[in-house]
Amino acid sequence: MILEPIYPKILSMRVLPHAHDDILRSYGADPKKHAALGLITCDQDDPTFVALDEATKNANVDVVFARSFYAGAGHSSGRLSGEVLGVIAAENPDEIEEGMQAMRRCLEHDACFYTADASGSIAVFPHIISSLGTYLSKEAGLSLGDSMAYLVAPPIEATVAFDAALKAADVELAKLFTPPTETNFAAAWLSGSLSDCQAAAEAFARIVVEVGNQPFG
Amino acid sequence: MSYTRDMIEGLRIRLGESRPLPPPKVATSIVASPKQIFPKPRVDNGFSEEAAKHTTALVGIGNVGTRYATDVVLQFQAELAVAHEAVAKVLPDDWGKDNGYLSVQSRVENHREFLLRPDLGRRLNESSLDLIKTHTKKNIQIQPILADGLSAVACMGSGLSLLTHFIHGCEAKGLTVGTPIVAKYARVWLSDEIGECVNAKVAVILLGERPGLGTGDGLSAYMVYNPKIGNTDGQRNMISNIHERGMIPEEAAERLVMLAEAMLKQKTSGVDLALEGELGAAAGGGYREPQVREKLVGERS
Amino acid sequence: MNLSSIIRNQRYEFTSLKEVLAKSNGPKSGDDQAGISAESAVERVAARAVLADTLISEVRNHPVIPYGDDELTRIVEDDLHDGSYQAIQHLTLGGFREWLLETTTTGSDIRSISRGLTPEMVAGVTKLMSNMDLMTVSAKAEVVVRANNTLGLAGRLSSRLQPNHPTDDINGILYSLKEGLCYGCGDAVIGVNPATDTAESTAAILRALNSVTSRNSIPTQNCVLSHVTVQMQALDLDCPMDLMFQSLSGTEKGNKAFGISVSLMDEAADKMKKLGSTKGPNQMYFETGQGSELSSAAHHGADQVTLEARCYGFARRYDPFLVNTVVGFIGPEYLEDGQQITRAGLEDHFMGKLLGLPMGCDACFTYHADMSQNELENLKVLLGVAGCTYLMSMPVGDDIMLNYQSTSYHDVSSVRSLTGKKATPEFDAWLSHMDIWEDGKPGGRYGDPSVIR
Repeated sequence: MILEPIYPKILSMRVLPHAHDDILRSYGADPKKHAALGLITCDQDDPTFVALDEATKNANVDVVFARSFYAGAGHSSGRLSGEVLGVIAAENPDEIEEGMQAMRRCLEHDACFYTADASGSIAVFPHIISSLGTYLSKEAGLSLGDSMAYLVAPPIEATVAFDAALKAADVELAKLFTPPTETNFAAAWLSGSLSDCQAAAEAFARIVVEVGNQPFG
Repeated sequence: MSYTRDMIEGLRIRLGESRPLPPPKVATSIVASPKQIFPKPRVDNGFSEEAAKHTTALVGIGNVGTRYATDVVLQFQAELAVAHEAVAKVLPDDWGKDNGYLSVQSRVENHREFLLRPDLGRRLNESSLDLIKTHTKKNIQIQPILADGLSAVACMGSGLSLLTHFIHGCEAKGLTVGTPIVAKYARVWLSDEIGECVNAKVAVILLGERPGLGTGDGLSAYMVYNPKIGNTDGQRNMISNIHERGMIPEEAAERLVMLAEAMLKQKTSGVDLALEGELGAAAGGGYREPQVREKLVGERS
Repeated sequence: MNLSSIIRNQRYEFTSLKEVLAKSNGPKSGDDQAGISAESAVERVAARAVLADTLISEVRNHPVIPYGDDELTRIVEDDLHDGSYQAIQHLTLGGFREWLLETTTTGSDIRSISRGLTPEMVAGVTKLMSNMDLMTVSAKAEVVVRANNTLGLAGRLSSRLQPNHPTDDINGILYSLKEGLCYGCGDAVIGVNPATDTAESTAAILRALNSVTSRNSIPTQNCVLSHVTVQMQALDLDCPMDLMFQSLSGTEKGNKAFGISVSLMDEAADKMKKLGSTKGPNQMYFETGQGSELSSAAHHGADQVTLEARCYGFARRYDPFLVNTVVGFIGPEYLEDGQQITRAGLEDHFMGKLLGLPMGCDACFTYHADMSQNELENLKVLLGVAGCTYLMSMPVGDDIMLNYQSTSYHDVSSVRSLTGKKATPEFDAWLSHMDIWEDGKPGGRYGDPSVIR
């Protein structure tokens, strides 16, 4: 049984309709432009980053803060912490509400990790984004609306699979996060046409499964 | 849609996984239907019945949400359809002749033009002008005209009765009456040209009124002293709402005869006509019965 | 002033601004009847091309009826606010259109130049705008006025309650009135068109309306729409008159046919100031409608949109509480069908707002016009979205006295629900107190006339 979805669990969602200026500033928002904040915690960080980006496409919000916690959801500081805190900011709480709904939709229907081996101890995130929002496009140094393959796996599997993905299609590396990240995974962002991103993601997922089956080649 | 899910579905098959990818959560959940549903029952607090003694306005009709109940919608649509039908009805070409009257037509050639060009409806076409010149009594006191106006239905309904009562009334008073004329596509001012052409002292035109909701059978009568092209509305007198449920044709004819006599006596009409006593009532302004609203859909109660 | 334009290498020449204004007008059967409309769709655009390049200062110098010939031209010219005019006189009408549509141009920006506009300028820019253009600008042009309550605030949609009766039967009028109130209607005015145009009858109806509004503490205005001279006499009978009404025309000659003039209206407004029963400063109520000038042969060869704008130029002299166009009442010889009536409703609303009036609209048709019930419902929603100050309201939209089809009590609630708008703040509080309308939806006593004492 492989490539089963591991659905992310949203652990909390709160709105600060009118946040204190110091809080706004500390979390990267601009009090001149923003008044309301939306907070989300979740037990999967990368799907949450994708969901935050999705929010910027559906509402007039900015992603001002998005950080993973050290060592992942298994070692979190409390039952609501998970492994990530994301913060969106907007002029008013209505926009935040819209943005939150978009994140919920994304996390329930689109962005999730998949199992890469029968025991479920290896997880892979071979995610395809057809059109980037303001957040990830900026983070990746790409343009708004570009397609991107967002690829995550444990260190060894990821490293082999990144190489395969880059060779499988006409894609370019936008950014690579070598291990260890906060959650001890490795990640890469590849850009190209939508179909090339699809081909790269598929190659990535296939190789992660293969390395899981044959750790010694 | 999720491109990632599509890709994973394909890859699962290629890697030999036989079971389909488990579905994601449903976007919106549909609640189970109740056993039976009913609209809210309407409460009758007697308001509409009480109101009906004083007004024909549709009140006390209740509501479904902010809209009407179905029977109200149907009644209303039926009334609208009746009004539109009355407007669309065209006076048959031979109708006047068939009833023994001289038939003429304005410069209007079709129904749409009649609605859009009041100026053409105020003037006779050439052949009608010739007909009037050659086939009518001249130098008379009263020239009666029956016309379609905005409701041929009214013209063909109470029109004949009104016309005959009026002519008999004038003759009984010893007035000289011209050849009765039936005019098609006619506006009020057409009576100026006809009256001028036959050299009448007074011209009377009886014509269909603009239909209201559920009705299309009302007639108005306009009368002018010294008819000639260029007269204005201020020079005319009028009686409206003539039909079986309003002012009945006999009564209207009586009033019109009184008005005609007054015009001949005072040698004027319209705002300059002194309307005192009985004459004041005859010239309109009297009590008018509200039109009773008929139930148009289903059997009458 | 340039009076020609080129379309597809063909030059179109016009002889006067009046002709350009007429030919650039959207199709109207009244302009056809007057023989002044464009001969083809292309000629219409050619006229608009001329209009778009015409300077606002040139429009000021070429009113459709000369200064010496018409008192309305004179009051507009003499009362024009110079500062406001200086701010816009350099613009072309095309440029003015674009400024109006900019999102950075706010309602208060529009108000600030409003008194520098002549009716001809407003009519001119109207001809360059599509229906949605008109709605976009109207929606932000907020005009707030005050009598016994406050009309025209953002997010509000008011209504005139019109409980007419063919014989002025007081009981009949009050039954229709109570029905309307329990559907949340009547915050703009409770206005009756009387069948008998006498001072006594006017006073009697006003007293009857007042007995209901004062007994139930309803924050609104009462009005009987008899001729202004009759209302002046009624004021002497010591009756509670909240608003004084008159129909207006866009030319001196047209107003003569209505039996009024500027001096008569000045006198009437003065008398109302002294004897009217209104709390706020705005006390007059005017009705207008495209085509009335032609129907009294008083149009001077000008098109009906321009003449309609001139009615508003007249109306603004009196800082009225209400102005509405009775858009489809006049009949198909002026506005032939649903498309023309819809267009005229949006035009009139826009022009009134631009000239600083609290503009409402009687969206209506007569039964010989080619308009369906559905088209009329569409127009009411469009007006609601466009920020129309108020609509009419009567039982099922059927006026049993004037025999035409307008807005119903139910329609007002429906448009409020669809657009998320409320009655005037004072009236809305009353509705909520009476459990008629609450939180944007019907309350427990909605549609229950027994709630009114």
